[in-house]
Order: sequence, then structure tokens, then C-alpha cells
Amino acid sequence: MAMEREKSAHAGALACPTCDFHTTVAEPNDAIECYRRHRSVTGHAIAWERTALDAAVETDDVETALDGLGDEYGEGVPLGVLTAALAERGVTIEETLDAIYALRMEGAIYEPRDDRVLVV
Amino acid sequence: MTRWNDGRDEIGAVSADITEETNALPARYFTDPDVHEMEKEKVFGRYWVYAGHANRIPERGDYFTRTIGGKQIIVTRDGEGDVRAFYNVCAHRGSKMLDDAPMTDPGSLGRITCPYHLWTYELDGDLASTPKSFEEATLNPDLDDESVRGLDPEANGLMEVTLDSIGPLVFVNFADDPDLTLAEQAGSMKDELEALPLEEYELARRYVSEVECNWKTFSGNYSECDHCQANHQDWVRGLELMESELEVNDYHWILHYQHREDVEDEMRIHDEHEAKFYYFWPNFTVNMYGTADGYGTYIIDPIDEGRFQLIADYYFRDADLTEEEEEFVQTSRQLQEEDFELVERQYDGLRSGALAQAQLGPNEHTVHKLHRLAQDAYEA
Repeated sequence: MAMEREKSAHAGALACPTCDFHTTVAEPNDAIECYRRHRSVTGHAIAWERTALDAAVETDDVETALDGLGDEYGEGVPLGVLTAALAERGVTIEETLDAIYALRMEGAIYEPRDDRVLVV
Repeated sequence: MTRWNDGRDEIGAVSADITEETNALPARYFTDPDVHEMEKEKVFGRYWVYAGHANRIPERGDYFTRTIGGKQIIVTRDGEGDVRAFYNVCAHRGSKMLDDAPMTDPGSLGRITCPYHLWTYELDGDLASTPKSFEEATLNPDLDDESVRGLDPEANGLMEVTLDSIGPLVFVNFADDPDLTLAEQAGSMKDELEALPLEEYELARRYVSEVECNWKTFSGNYSECDHCQANHQDWVRGLELMESELEVNDYHWILHYQHREDVEDEMRIHDEHEAKFYYFWPNFTVNMYGTADGYGTYIIDPIDEGRFQLIADYYFRDADLTEEEEEFVQTSRQLQEEDFELVERQYDGLRSGALAQAQLGPNEHTVHKLHRLAQDAYEA
């Protein structure tokens, strides 16, 4: 099994421009929980404002990006890491999560742990 | 006297008399994860809690969802025009039925259908239909169709949540047999708010913030203004703080803030020449502005013991705000941000574990009430 990257003490910052809401998250997947909480009471999609993760991808295609990161995360790529990496390529959290849902429904990816995914 | 966690000081229950030494809720009730779990039942499961605004679901079948103390509910308008609340849980095998639909973006449906096995419910919660596979035993060789029992629509309907309203403000109570009616819990606040044309105002803005402190830390901060002079300098410039008053009632308290300069009556929804901020136990506020024709509400929603969401809604005559109203909302946001700094700083201190039991000043009687109510709830 591949070694996991060392966890970052500060994963980055998120914002909702409509709500003038800004927050920082310690763990990458805290961003996903925050996204869902905010969406459930506002309908708004928050976005990464900046990320402090060293996960980088060279594509804006979600499946390709996930495949590329999969080697480094044996227990699944945290959705927070994936969304942060794709945000650098201009893909929003909402777009990434929608694409992940579609890929999961197609059977193209699986979720070995909650909110961690890998390509089949 | 302040009580430290130094091995010498002993904490006590929140005193009935604010002048006594142990007049504040012990610090652990703000930082202990077990207390957060306990509050789901003892606070948010027993008292009347704000669910949302009826104006947002004007037509039959309109609905929004809410999660309160971990319980997910649907608030909808039935065929008779009544607002009702149900657990967002299918009577078949417990699936969550509807996706989240916040009050700001409500949904609409003719019937409530669970996507799992397509059990379908009327808007009054009664079971309307099930697929044929629940009426016939086609796949079960041990049963014939005649032995399949029928499903009574009411007995197999959705679980309803007790609901009542103050004007357009909708509240729910999860207790099987609530100790208090909404009218009893709200007391004079109900009459005061129902005398106002709250339903004539539209939801113009919703701002949601996540704050790193216990929800009661923010509630306490909202409830007193001893911190205002030092920390809300722009705002207090327009106030006569010494002429203001903090009024305490059984389950709500009112902050009456007097303004230095009076404004035209048309500039307020209420008659009194003041801002009236109501705090309604456990986690709801109604803010009747003194200098703007509108009102606001706060929901102080715990996420866990160390975080909460502030859901701030602003209601004005028209959802398209004037420049002055935009400016007013921005001032309100400024106050929130200033308060977030204060409560996060306070919580940083509380979390260090040094303080065992704080002490409240004589003008923090509203905070004392909050702490007493929390203690009563925990002991109930």
C-alpha cells in the first residue's frame, strides 16, 4: 500500500461570496463537511479560496486527476484533496463532487473509506 | 468569585440569585463533547425550536428541510393550507426521503415520495401508495397474495413533528408530549410579535457563518452589552447605552436599545422608539431594528461542542434592498464579525481548561438566565 502524504496542519481556506463567509480548515475533508453544511442551509456552493496542500494535478478531468492522485493515497484520495487540486485547475468543488457522484454511479470509482475515493 | 481548575476551587450549580458566587454555568458545559450530545435531546429535543418562516412556503406542497439536534425534518404546506412538519424518514425502512432544500431555496411537490422503494405520502403524512410489490407476494414462494396484509394509510404514514407558530415564525417540538405549549414558552413575546405585520416582510438576505465556539458562548455574548462600548464602537456611537434596558422573562429576554437620534415611525416595524432584540431559548433571536423598516432572525445552530452556524436572515418590505437597507445589513454583518472575534477568543480561553466556573456581572442577568435555563434543561 502506498504511503499517505503527511497530513497538513492547515489545509486551506474556503469562502462563500454570497454570504461573505470565510473559513479555514485543518483537514482536507473538513472542507467537504463544511461545503455540505453550508449548502444545506443556503443552497450556495462554497469554493476553495486558497489551498495549502501540495497535491497537484495537470488536468481538469476529474477521473484522470483522481487516477493520478490515487497512487499517493492507498486508502482513497480524500475528496478535500481532490477538490483542492482541481480547484487549482479551475474546477469548482461543486463540479468535482457532481462528477464524482456520476462516476460512482457508473461504477468507475469506489469509496474504500467515507469521502475517500479511488478509480476502479 | 471566579473558580479555577487549580485543585482548590469547587464549582457549584448556577445560583438562583445572580449576586451569589456561583452564578455562571460551569465551563465544562461549553467544551465537553458529551454535553453536546446530551443537548440534542435535553435542549433541542424538548423545547420549542425555530424551524423557519411560513412565507417561504406559500403554496400547497411547498416545502423546506431543516436539521435540528441531528433530526431531519420536512416543513411543508398541506392541502388545507396548514403548515406541518414530518421527519424526513420513510415509514417503510427509514430512508431519508427528500434532499436538503433550505428555506432560501424551497422545493415544491404534490406528494412526498421516498426514492428507495417509492412509498408515496400525501402532504398530511398519510401513506398514499406503494408499488405493487408491496401488495403481492410474487417473489415469495411461501406466501400467497391473500395473506399479504394491507397497509393502513394513517398507521403507516410519516411521523409528524409537533408544530406551532408565532405569526409566520414556525416552531417545532420533538417531545412526544411537550411540557409547555409554544404560547407558554414564548409568554409575552408571542403577543408582542403577533401584533406586528411580520408576514408582510420578505426574506431579503441570508448569511451563514461558521464560528469556532460553543453555541452558548455566542448566545451569552448576544445577550449582554457590557462588551459593546469596547468592541462595537461604530454601533454604540448611535446608542444611549445608559438608557437601554435588558428585560428578562421566563424563556426569553429582550434587549431594549435606545438610539441617540429618533427616527420616523415609518422607519420601524414596531411602535417603540428603540431597537428590540428578543432572545428566545434555546437558540433563536428576533431582531426588531430601531432604525430600519425590517427585522432579522438568528438561528444559533450547534455543529459540535466547539462550533456553531449562525444563520442570519434579514426581512424587509421588499427583497430588493435600497442602498440604505444594504448599508444597514452591512453594519449588522460588521457587528457579527466583531462578535465572532470576541467569542472565538473567549472560547480559546475556555478550551485551555484553566477556568472551572466564570462569574457574571450584575448587568449580565440575561446571560444568567441563559445559564439557568441550560442547567434546568440538563437536570430535567
